[in-house]
Amino acid sequence: MEQTKSGHPAPPPGGEVDPALLEILVCPLTKGPLRYDRARGELVSERAGLAYPIRDGIPIMLPDEARKLD
Amino acid sequence: MRPMPRTDPMRIFDRRLLRLRRDRAAATVGRVAPVLDAAAALLLDRLDDTTRRFSRALDIGGRGAVAPLLRARGIPLVVSMDLSPRMAARAGGLAVAGDEEWLPFAPESFDLVVASLSLHWVNDLPGALVQIRRCLRPDGLFLASLPGFGALQPLREALAAAESTLRGGVSPRISPFPELADLAGLLQRAGFALPVADREVLPLRYRTPMALLRDLQAAGEGNAVLARDPRIPPRALLPMALGHLEGAGEEGLAMPLPLLVMTGWAPHESQSRPARPGSADRRLAEALGTVERGAGEGTGRPRSGGSA
Repeated sequence: MEQTKSGHPAPPPGGEVDPALLEILVCPLTKGPLRYDRARGELVSERAGLAYPIRDGIPIMLPDEARKLD
Repeated sequence: MRPMPRTDPMRIFDRRLLRLRRDRAAATVGRVAPVLDAAAALLLDRLDDTTRRFSRALDIGGRGAVAPLLRARGIPLVVSMDLSPRMAARAGGLAVAGDEEWLPFAPESFDLVVASLSLHWVNDLPGALVQIRRCLRPDGLFLASLPGFGALQPLREALAAAESTLRGGVSPRISPFPELADLAGLLQRAGFALPVADREVLPLRYRTPMALLRDLQAAGEGNAVLARDPRIPPRALLPMALGHLEGAGEEGLAMPLPLLVMTGWAPHESQSRPARPGSADRRLAEALGTVERGAGEGTGRPRSGGSA
């Protein structure tokens, strides 16, 4: 993993998401679980085939803003 | 991507346009903070009616008026969801961009959901209510206010009169608002227990009609009705409509805001509800300390007069 000088992992793209949010967020379409892809700064819904972006620490849980998985 | 055909009769509002409006309004919504704060305070007063303590709250579309009040009541977790990420960021809770029609929360995530003046742009209100109920824990509370039927009525009439003069027809320039009778039924259908819908009025007054229009714009409440006339309105429309309103009075323009307040609880066994017929294990007569008699038998009491 990429390390900063202080030894902490580099902040993920899109900013840190509060862990309390990660516990309760689900895919808005399937209501299924999300996988937090920290390296890409995305919340991935395998079942919907969508990756929801995180911008400035805010999860963007809007289907038409999500990236389609290949 | 979900299809959003303009011809679908179930789609009344343009959610994409609404998101843009709210994004833009994030910078200006502070100007209407007094109105939003008053509406939020009026709604959250309902929390004083219950002795229940809440620990996990969802604020839907609160625009900075709701989350701080929830925190001030000592609720440790407050999540603020808005269709616009920018609006969510300034709402005061943990920010999530999300759509009321596609709630992104796991079942039983919250014990309180508050939607102050934010559900009136939802196309599928019954669907949104079901999703809200599901993200509540048993015995969790849902509290919402919507602008009711009659909101902005003077403006609606003035615009319609001016447009019909100028164009010989009228297009929807103000959103349709629900009526009180619709809401209690909707709550019940969505599976809420002890559903209540009632009406309050927020007395508002504007110095000029233009000040009202500026407030609506600052709040991101511009017309997002799909069937709106896409043409640029005739230049004379607004001045003529505002002219109709100017005549309204010298102490400014009274524009009372009817608020429909909804409360409903996620079902829980501790809540009172009617028992199944025939499920009683005690006789009513026993509880009343009296003697049970068959139908048609006399009560054994004198019919009239006679006293000891």
